[in-house]
Amino acid sequence: MQYKEVVGRRRSIRFFEPDRPVEREKIQVMLEAARLASCAVNAHWLKAIVVHRDKIPEEKLEKLKTPVLNVQLDLAPVHIYFFVDLGVVNRMQGTRLKQLVDVGALPPTHGWSHRFVDELVYPQILKPLTEDAAYPVAAAADAGMAVCQALLAGVDEGLGVGLNTPNPALAKEVFEVPEDWFSLWVLLVGYPAESWDAGGQRPRPDFEEQYFEGSYGKPFKRDPAVVERLKAENMIQRQAVPNDPERRAEIKKLAERLGLPI
Amino acid sequence: MDNTKLLEFQSVQDWMKGLHEHWGGDPVNDDPDRLPTLAEFCAFANVDPDTAVKECKRIDKAGDVRISVKGRRKYSELIDEFQAKSPGSKLQRAKRGNTVRSFLIHNGILLQAGAQMHRVTDREDEEE
Repeated sequence: MQYKEVVGRRRSIRFFEPDRPVEREKIQVMLEAARLASCAVNAHWLKAIVVHRDKIPEEKLEKLKTPVLNVQLDLAPVHIYFFVDLGVVNRMQGTRLKQLVDVGALPPTHGWSHRFVDELVYPQILKPLTEDAAYPVAAAADAGMAVCQALLAGVDEGLGVGLNTPNPALAKEVFEVPEDWFSLWVLLVGYPAESWDAGGQRPRPDFEEQYFEGSYGKPFKRDPAVVERLKAENMIQRQAVPNDPERRAEIKKLAERLGLPI
Repeated sequence: MDNTKLLEFQSVQDWMKGLHEHWGGDPVNDDPDRLPTLAEFCAFANVDPDTAVKECKRIDKAGDVRISVKGRRKYSELIDEFQAKSPGSKLQRAKRGNTVRSFLIHNGILLQAGAQMHRVTDREDEEE
């Protein structure tokens, strides 16, 4: 699948085929994609624990269920719990950054050297950053990019994916992760029981309400020709509409089959 | 409690309205078991529909409506018990539990009991 179509085809899947297993290699592909994500200072805050619904002890699975994350945990055969490792920067002390210097990603042409990392970047920038209240936010934003790559790789592999928020304290407790990790998201993975279209692309705010050019308040003008091209390339697809009879019928059928309230 | 009496409760009217708005059709007659099942649940839990909804909500200090975790847990457990004690196959029991869950959901109480029939064995049992 082409990248644009992967972006266009992605939906937050909430109805998974509960009994159709997910190939382990496809999960690996997703994790490989996460590992290759752009990452500030090459720190790699993102950690993941892959959980197979039918292999995790029942009491642990029950503990992870929340009022809004009960049905999906039952249905999705694979759950990937993502954590942010806040300790990584102080453990690495700039060594991963120096790897970038060595391979020419951070070259002297741009002012980089091992000495710069050792004398300035780590002690004067990175270490103080880890003591700043905004540090977890920055680390989470960075980790989120890697999660996004995993998610899109899953779609490209023909899987349905859906990001959800677990109870962070319980996720830490159940998986007994290090103290300096915090729980970010759980990505549910499986084959969709709902149609790929799932009612269409979700409503989004107007393009020009979100994006500006040059300065705040000056919308980035949306070129209709580009929109048409993206439609042809399946990135922009049919938008979901309220009270779509086809979508209603689909959900009713799924509710009946899976034993869900309507 | 018969259907007419049940429909006098605001929460039941809201349920019917919610069902109609979301799914269309005639919620009272499309599933004739719907209202009697709620009436049976109310008798089982010894509560009227409006009180059940009220007990699942609370008002915080700012005057905003919140879900009462304690209340929701109580009703979630009561529905599970009602479902377990219901007659019929697993699917029929699940339908009865889900009818009551639907009543609370359309009254603004987010409630998930999981997928009742998600295991292969659930469906195989039903086919036997």
